[in-house]
Amino acid sequence: MTTDPHCDADLAEVGAEFTYFRRHCSSLDWRLLHLVFGSLALFLVLVAVGFAVAGAWLIIPFAGIEIAGLGIAAWWTLRRSGDFERLAFDGDRIVVEIREQGLLRQFEFNRCWARLVTGDAGTVALRSHGREIAIGRFCGEESRQALARELRNRLDGHRLYRINQVTSAGEA
Amino acid sequence: MDAAHAHTHDHGHDDHGHKPSGIMRWVKSTNHKDIGTMYLWFSFTMFMVGGVMAMIIRAELFQPGLQIVRPDFFNSMTTYHGLIMVFGAIMPAFVGFANWLIPMQIGAPDMAFPRMNNLSFWLLPPAAMLLIAAQFMPGGGAGVGWTMYAPLSTQAGPAMDLTIFAVHILGISSIMGSINIITTILNMRAPGMSLMKMPLFCWTWLITAYLLVAVMPVLAGAVTMTLTDRHFGTHFFNAAGGGDPVLYQHIFWFFGHPEVYIIAIPAFGVVSQVIPAFSRKPLFGYASMVYATASIAILSFMVWAHHMYTAGMPVEAQLYFMYATALIAVPTGVKVFNWVATMWKGSLTFETPMLFSLGFLFLFTLGGFTGLVLSITPVDVQLHDTYYVVAHFHYVMVAGALFSAFAGIYFWLPKWTGRMYNETLGKWHFWLSLIFFNVTFFVQHFLGLAGMPRRIPDYALQFAEFNAISSIGAFGFGLSQLLFLYIVIKCITSGDKAPDKPWEGADSLEWTHLPTPAPWHSFETPPVIK
Repeated sequence: MTTDPHCDADLAEVGAEFTYFRRHCSSLDWRLLHLVFGSLALFLVLVAVGFAVAGAWLIIPFAGIEIAGLGIAAWWTLRRSGDFERLAFDGDRIVVEIREQGLLRQFEFNRCWARLVTGDAGTVALRSHGREIAIGRFCGEESRQALARELRNRLDGHRLYRINQVTSAGEA
Repeated sequence: MDAAHAHTHDHGHDDHGHKPSGIMRWVKSTNHKDIGTMYLWFSFTMFMVGGVMAMIIRAELFQPGLQIVRPDFFNSMTTYHGLIMVFGAIMPAFVGFANWLIPMQIGAPDMAFPRMNNLSFWLLPPAAMLLIAAQFMPGGGAGVGWTMYAPLSTQAGPAMDLTIFAVHILGISSIMGSINIITTILNMRAPGMSLMKMPLFCWTWLITAYLLVAVMPVLAGAVTMTLTDRHFGTHFFNAAGGGDPVLYQHIFWFFGHPEVYIIAIPAFGVVSQVIPAFSRKPLFGYASMVYATASIAILSFMVWAHHMYTAGMPVEAQLYFMYATALIAVPTGVKVFNWVATMWKGSLTFETPMLFSLGFLFLFTLGGFTGLVLSITPVDVQLHDTYYVVAHFHYVMVAGALFSAFAGIYFWLPKWTGRMYNETLGKWHFWLSLIFFNVTFFVQHFLGLAGMPRRIPDYALQFAEFNAISSIGAFGFGLSQLLFLYIVIKCITSGDKAPDKPWEGADSLEWTHLPTPAPWHSFETPPVIK
């Protein structure tokens, strides 16, 4: 299958029968972010306090609001930079782990029952028993479709394998 | 285990196949290209509004005596011409460039905070309306100058309140834009796009955004203190109540001088893209350009009081600010040297973007030199508040920032529209702008040296000839910009189809990795930079 060359993740057989892992693409160097935020915050504090000493204390609240705004943006960016999506086929189980904006969620599907559904806008999701979870959120369009083909093959293959197992057990 | 929910449509603005249409495409847009386009059109509209104000100023100054407008209206025109051109025209123009180009140049699909990007644009029209509405308040617009010095501003009519509110809104918009640019550049670069591989335009905007975030609270505090002095009984700037009007000048210029570089540094970035493309050579001294830009930004915080030598300060302080100001010539000289060295032995061609860049190079350097003249304290004491200063900062703002913006628009117009502009008309626009600009402003140096003060509707007879020449130049310059509007509209509606890479020397990602015109969504899959 083709994968995006940009992320440090792709389809890989690690431990489980099949694992897919992809990170949110981020060029963030957290030390640089701290340097930018820290230097700006320090500068603003010095300027605001300096002018306050000279009598112009009303700069302080604006500096404070801006440091807070910048801090929220930095925190938000940092929080998203660790986001990932992991999908593992392990026997009859499909385990999906998604970390989005710092929040880790885990889902489990039965491999015999799970179906792959694709949407008009190129979205791909796993569906079973009324539950649906989008996958490939950190891929480009082309990679997501390639992932969908790979998953469909594996799901169909496993279903066929199970049917054959049951049939041969019945014959025996 | 968590319960699974439907997540198939949770990427609102990333809906790849769908391109919205109609007015809501623009109102709700989170697409960096649409928002960039809106910024550029808004900027041009404000450029026209500010330009009309300039025409009124120059019409009144065409002859000595009071002919056309009342003195208070004249003062209002000088005030809002400055405010609108700085905050409404030039700054939004470069934010428009940033929106269009930064994601494409670093290989990102969009800005880091697309919804905040939308909001930061849509704050601009209400602010512009407030500035225009201020003209119709009782007593007319506030004739306090773009610097809004106290105590004049604390005594002005109700238009001043609208102006203060507008400045606040513009400041909020700038801060949101800057935070977006910083996070986009730090977080969304394509793999392999290290900071020192970024196109210089991105570097200049990263530094500019840093400057904006650093100084905007100072401006917000200054105008808020003006507001509380006006309405809430404080005495920050009222000497009678124990305050200090000169403190306002310190605060304003602590913001105001970096503001000059907030305008100039992105202009450096544009020129640093255009000159190598038409020299068919890489930019000479890339690393030194980055360090020089950062040095200029740092020095810009240390020189504010050169705007207020005549306000009174110890001679040691005057010496310090004089030397510190002169020091800025060193990194600026590095940049000018590098642009010239880039052209040296290059395979030069002179299409319109290159002509405007060369115009920038010559005239901005001239504006820099007159800045050096003004940095010398005893000279400045003579020239302070004369037309020499007006000439100086128009060489920096118009021939510097505006010419660079024109260079950038002609350079990237094929990428934005998919069509070529008319090269002959573009060259006409350049030559008319260059000639009329110099006719307008070069003679103002002589007026200033002869002692004509700025911000006055009338003047002594001895200044009549140069003022008439300057006004003729201004009318010509204003009309030339209508030609620019015609060129852009003609390009959009009926220009020849542009090839993917119309400039063979252009080598940044938007030219090498994207088709022309740039698609609705670009770099959904980031490129890998070697």
